[in-house]
Amino acid sequence: MAIKAARHRSGRRPDGKRKGSGRKERSFVPLSERIVNAMKNEKRKPINKKKLTNHLTAYAFCAPWFIGFICFTLFPIVFMFAVSLTNRKLNGISNFVGFANYVNMVQSPTFWNSIKVTLFFTVVMMVVTTIWAVILAMLLNYKQKLNGIFQFCYFLPSVIPTVALAYTFRTIFGKEAGLLNAIISQLTAKNVMVNWLYDKRTIYLAVFFITLFTYNTGQMMLIFRSGLNDVPRELYEACDIDGASPFRKFFGITLPMISPIVLFNAVMGCISALNGSFALLYPLTGESGDPNGMTQVLSLLIYKEAFSNMKVGYACALSVVLFLIACGFGIGIFAVSKKLVYYEN
Amino acid sequence: MGRKKLLALLLSTAVVCGSLAGCGAKGTQKQEGSVAGSTESKAGESSKTDSAEVGKKVTIAVWNEPSKDEALNMYLQAGKATGIDVEVTVIPESDYSSKLNQMVSTGNDSVDIYVIWENDIANFAQVGGIIPLDDYLAKSTIKTDEFIDAVAKLSEGLGGTYGLPWCAATELLYYNQDMFDAAGIAYPTNDWSYADYKAAAEKLTKKAADGTTEVYGSTLPNTQTWWAGIGGAGDQVFDPAKGQMVIGDGAVSFVSDVAQMVKNGTMPEPSSDTADLFAAGKAAMSWQGSWNIGTYGGGLAFNWDIASIPTDKLKYNTLHTGFYSINAKSKNQDSAFKVIEYLMGEEGQAINSKASGNPSAIKSIAEKGAWKVESVTTIENWDAITDSLKAGVFGYTCLPSGVTNNAISEFNSAVLGQKTPEDAVKNASQYAKETIGY
Repeated sequence: MAIKAARHRSGRRPDGKRKGSGRKERSFVPLSERIVNAMKNEKRKPINKKKLTNHLTAYAFCAPWFIGFICFTLFPIVFMFAVSLTNRKLNGISNFVGFANYVNMVQSPTFWNSIKVTLFFTVVMMVVTTIWAVILAMLLNYKQKLNGIFQFCYFLPSVIPTVALAYTFRTIFGKEAGLLNAIISQLTAKNVMVNWLYDKRTIYLAVFFITLFTYNTGQMMLIFRSGLNDVPRELYEACDIDGASPFRKFFGITLPMISPIVLFNAVMGCISALNGSFALLYPLTGESGDPNGMTQVLSLLIYKEAFSNMKVGYACALSVVLFLIACGFGIGIFAVSKKLVYYEN
Repeated sequence: MGRKKLLALLLSTAVVCGSLAGCGAKGTQKQEGSVAGSTESKAGESSKTDSAEVGKKVTIAVWNEPSKDEALNMYLQAGKATGIDVEVTVIPESDYSSKLNQMVSTGNDSVDIYVIWENDIANFAQVGGIIPLDDYLAKSTIKTDEFIDAVAKLSEGLGGTYGLPWCAATELLYYNQDMFDAAGIAYPTNDWSYADYKAAAEKLTKKAADGTTEVYGSTLPNTQTWWAGIGGAGDQVFDPAKGQMVIGDGAVSFVSDVAQMVKNGTMPEPSSDTADLFAAGKAAMSWQGSWNIGTYGGGLAFNWDIASIPTDKLKYNTLHTGFYSINAKSKNQDSAFKVIEYLMGEEGQAINSKASGNPSAIKSIAEKGAWKVESVTTIENWDAITDSLKAGVFGYTCLPSGVTNNAISEFNSAVLGQKTPEDAVKNASQYAKETIGY
């Protein structure tokens, strides 16, 4: 009900266009054409010289970013594609092998296991960290004393480097000398010896628990918190008048209103899970993704192939697959978001 | 407005120039690398350009920290003896091989002496990343004809001597004498069989009332000693002719044994624990490298000694070393060889042995016994080291670490009951075939 009122205020017309958007629409002229036109008109209209100079000044300001993008993003991506077609080793030996790396890849059971683990890990990590970040943000959104201290405490683990965090948890989750087993043993008065990181029943529980303390979750929490502050209070007041439960308020007001932020965090969480999981898993479960390859995400396999087996060409082919998966996740999330995300304007 | 434009222009020019300068420098490095990779004579030529000025400082890349004790710091002593400033670059062991490969690939000249691992020496020689030392050795006092046989075999087929072994480390059985005394079991000998070892481990295991193990009979094999067990069970482990990993029935047998010992509580499960159970007095025996003699020194709270790795079907031991070699891009090659000459000489080798507990790979120097670490007072069976050296071969250390780590991960899965030993060995072999010869 309240959300309908909000939509009404947003001024959206039934045909999807906004009220008052009756300005005459300008035809699209490509930038290059506009520059050429400007140059042609230069002689006829001296005043356009100033416009051109302004454009060039703008491009000059943008140039550093473009140069950085070309050198450090575009070139490495193109180079990665090129190297994936060679049998390049870490010591520099390289020959063109066509699509041999890709053929070997699809024939390797290690690769398919890694794909399965990567997809599972990415989806679950994204869901777990997003939900946890929302919960923390909601808790912090309650007006109470010492809120700043709570926020500091919740966010503190997030500023610890992921590698240090992983090593700490590796010690905590140890079997013989692990802190967690010691605490459980004290509480239960039994000698508890759970092999948290090597038992296939507990490994995911342990790993996803650790992801709650990563930088990504802390960052999400702060973004959600700022989003929650922007939800208009009158919507909640309207709900209170209607007698809505807190559960109903969350799903009827809060979630739709912060859905663009959920989308943003979901995309960032996905990319972080795909690329950043290495820093978490390498110290925790090793390059082979113990136990039994259950945590061998693609980034771990890429590292193993490139730096332990020296197969840089093959590792680049794996990186291409990781790149495509990241693209797939991004496109997929945006496609789903068209139905689920609510934009006020 | 004019000022803004000027500022924009200056900044843009600076960024473009900086980027181009950076790209240009990288390009030059690559070019040099490719030249080094294609010719050996180039390396020889650059050694002639060595001058007194640049030869005053030599940088050496190693994976372990030099001894804090000045007298046992062989690099410091090499500097004093040769008058050359020896700078040590320590690269963490986990990244050591890959860093060196990257240095060779990019033609990096910041390091003059590489200490190369067994699995890298042939590749580095092949791409011209290191120089042949034969010309230097012809005029040197280094006793190359006295190297242990395994070293000579490893250098075969390279077309020259590209590296000199800094030591010959082996693997040993460490045991807690106090626990053996308490259990009334005779100490292990160098002739101990694998059955003797298993029986002793069973007897030495102490369990709590609830059935959990308080003291293990033996620790789990570590990343190195898994291969001693597999080789001892009859597998070749490494085929030097094909460069392949060769495991089969021996591996299945050893993995099955370990799995059974873990099930019985005689050995701990593979886990994320990083504690050394033997040093902590929680395990009576442990298979480890000889370098741990120097690490333990006199620091353990109990009496301990060493013995050869127990013999199953055959006596097998993996040798470990690193090879002193000279970077083909080094501008200080003559000075670098002078430092190597000291390190491979009697004094340098003796210091290395005293610091690490590893014998020299030169027989006549090893026989003098400098590896009998003085701080360790409880070891009586020093013969275990010479006995292990006799059985020593370069095995798994010649394989890529990704292949061996993957195999151990498979073995651990089998030990934990997540797959059968047969499947684990089959998977490990398949992965090795996919990887080696790439």
